[in-house]
Amino acid sequence: MTTAAILVEALIFPGLTFFVCIAFLFEWLERKTAARMQGRIGPVVAGRFGILQPVADFFKLASKEEMVPLYADRLVFDFGPQLFFAAPAMGLVFVPVTGPSSILSDPLDLLFMLFILAFSALMAALLGYSSAGRYSIIATGRLVLQYTGYEIPMIIAMVTPAVLAGSLSFDGIVAAQGTYWFILLAPISFACFLVAALAELEKPPFDIPSAKTEIVAGWMTEFSGRALAYVKLTKNLSYVFLSAIAVALFLGGPLGPVLSGNATVQSFFYLLYFLIKLFAVGFCIFAIRTALARVRIDQATRLFWTVITPLSLLQLGVALILR
Amino acid sequence: MSEEEKSPVRRKAAAGLMQYSPENIVPFGPVHPALKEPEYFKLVLEGERIIEVYPKIGYVHRGIERAAQDRTWVQNIYLFERICGICSFAHSLAYSQTVEGLSTFEIPRRARYIRTIIAELERIHSHLLWLGLVGYWTGFDTLFMWIWKDREHVLDLVESITGNRVHKSFVTLSGVRKDLPDGIGDRIRTEMNYLEKRVDFYKELVSTEETLLTRTKGVGRINQEVARRLCPVGPLLRSTGIARDVRVEDPYAAYDEVVPDVKSSTDGDIASLIVLRLEEARESCRLVTHAMERIPQGPVRLTVPRIVPAGDNASHVEAPRGELIYFVRSGGKMLPERVKMRAPTLANILTAVEMLKGRPLADVPVVLTGMDPCFGCMDRIAVVDVNKQKEWAIRGEELRQLGIQYYKKGNMQ
Repeated sequence: MTTAAILVEALIFPGLTFFVCIAFLFEWLERKTAARMQGRIGPVVAGRFGILQPVADFFKLASKEEMVPLYADRLVFDFGPQLFFAAPAMGLVFVPVTGPSSILSDPLDLLFMLFILAFSALMAALLGYSSAGRYSIIATGRLVLQYTGYEIPMIIAMVTPAVLAGSLSFDGIVAAQGTYWFILLAPISFACFLVAALAELEKPPFDIPSAKTEIVAGWMTEFSGRALAYVKLTKNLSYVFLSAIAVALFLGGPLGPVLSGNATVQSFFYLLYFLIKLFAVGFCIFAIRTALARVRIDQATRLFWTVITPLSLLQLGVALILR
Repeated sequence: MSEEEKSPVRRKAAAGLMQYSPENIVPFGPVHPALKEPEYFKLVLEGERIIEVYPKIGYVHRGIERAAQDRTWVQNIYLFERICGICSFAHSLAYSQTVEGLSTFEIPRRARYIRTIIAELERIHSHLLWLGLVGYWTGFDTLFMWIWKDREHVLDLVESITGNRVHKSFVTLSGVRKDLPDGIGDRIRTEMNYLEKRVDFYKELVSTEETLLTRTKGVGRINQEVARRLCPVGPLLRSTGIARDVRVEDPYAAYDEVVPDVKSSTDGDIASLIVLRLEEARESCRLVTHAMERIPQGPVRLTVPRIVPAGDNASHVEAPRGELIYFVRSGGKMLPERVKMRAPTLANILTAVEMLKGRPLADVPVVLTGMDPCFGCMDRIAVVDVNKQKEWAIRGEELRQLGIQYYKKGNMQ
């Protein structure tokens, strides 16, 4: 593949632009599902069934005035949102979408992915601190504390499929799931990954760093206008990113029945399988999010250290034996 | 001189606050997503833990008591109703009762029953509203949405009886403005049956849902000793095991014939407050049905003179949040000379502050609103709390000093 072709794939399809659209769709689906579960209607105004509401919100927010706190660290405050956005946008390039191989792939994909997840949390913490608001600082403390809780089980849960596949690249892990998906071999890892993903995404019951009734908007409190639009988009994109990782690691990525000999037609089917799995994982997260109340930060960290981490370690041990 | 230098009470409060570095003080309000109404709490934090709370009240002081002196006895019913958007009926009922106490006429029995029915419907709606908000404060939005949807049933019922959903404008001196509509009995029965089922469902839900329990069990616990010292009222008091209720102790409206069963609990935490309020809502459902069965025929109001005989009178009702007290002084004229009220939130706020100490920041919305605050009701007078040996108390002398300072500044018209 030429550099130009890779660039087009990475930026348009099945890369950034495609995933940003999916991110908007995810937000719409989340709002609609939550509304239906709660006996409400949800967005209806923009587009059919309100499907364009997240896009409308994004552009409305982007066109608004930006306020910068007096004591904010301007360098981080101004450039942070873009870097924050870059993390999931870059990570998604390594996830196979339209076929067994991703746009860019490397034998050590998974390590890079772990780095990106850590980077994303670091950027959130930096953004919170740079805005120098009291709510932001408390939220950052909570974010970092929560991070110490969920990162280790998340890494262990992500490493388990790699152990099963004997490969550290996403392509290798997906290829190893040709006969059966790793969710069958490592169901506990999948569950641990989903719980850790809820914490990473700050969704209930782990929306502690952005608990609006306690600390307003958490570490995002001081952001407004374009920066806030970016931060919100990034959170949705991370949502897609984590669901895509779960699909690639546990649900066989885009793999499924081969229905056509034609490579182009088959890649369409692969895309379809991928999207179905992606939305299934996303839907799990919406459902958990809607059905639970928020826990306190001490309760959350206790849960991660005493329940989720040992469980994921147990599954890793089982995986080592199975291998 | 600054405002703080002028008042010894405020100076003490400020000195108490100054021993902490400003970075540790986190403002909670006056405008905050967790508060429905503006009120200011300065929280002194040590990490996530609260070590001191300084409430500052008065953000919704609207001068209603003064405004009442410029309105006729009947006009004031509609004015006092507007003190609160949730327990509006309790306010108008308490005021009317106080004024009626100065006159000699007997209130028709049917009117008493109708007043009881509306008051109990209001209690159901208020308790459901509060529980929905607990869901919201603990991040359990689904509970919030579900309960508020069920609350609509009560509001619709109230609307079909009185014509209004929030400010019922239903009480009048000597009775109620109009009779119950025809055929409302069946509708009340079906709605109450429905609500009883829903309340039972919610009771089961709140006592089994783990994430909600971790946020409420053992949180904001007060014991009887604290309760006796700080004198909270309503469910907050009953949650400590002191089963006191104005409806039973000093029956008004038709509570002498429709006797409520006063619920109480002994845990004194937010989880028990939730269950207690749900039990009270269920008891109110029973009372409404019971009152509907026993309601006598007859007139619902009398023709009464516009001038109220001279004299002083005080009366109280059990509002959804607790005891609501009204005092009225009449000079035998068209207008009242003075009307004074004490809302339950004012009695409860110091207890809520006590409940907050030592809790993590995450508990603030749940605890602060565990008392079901209604700042609009409370903000009639300025009470400043004084910090002495980490203990909250309002001393008589300081209150007197405060009064002197207050009037010196020309706050009184």
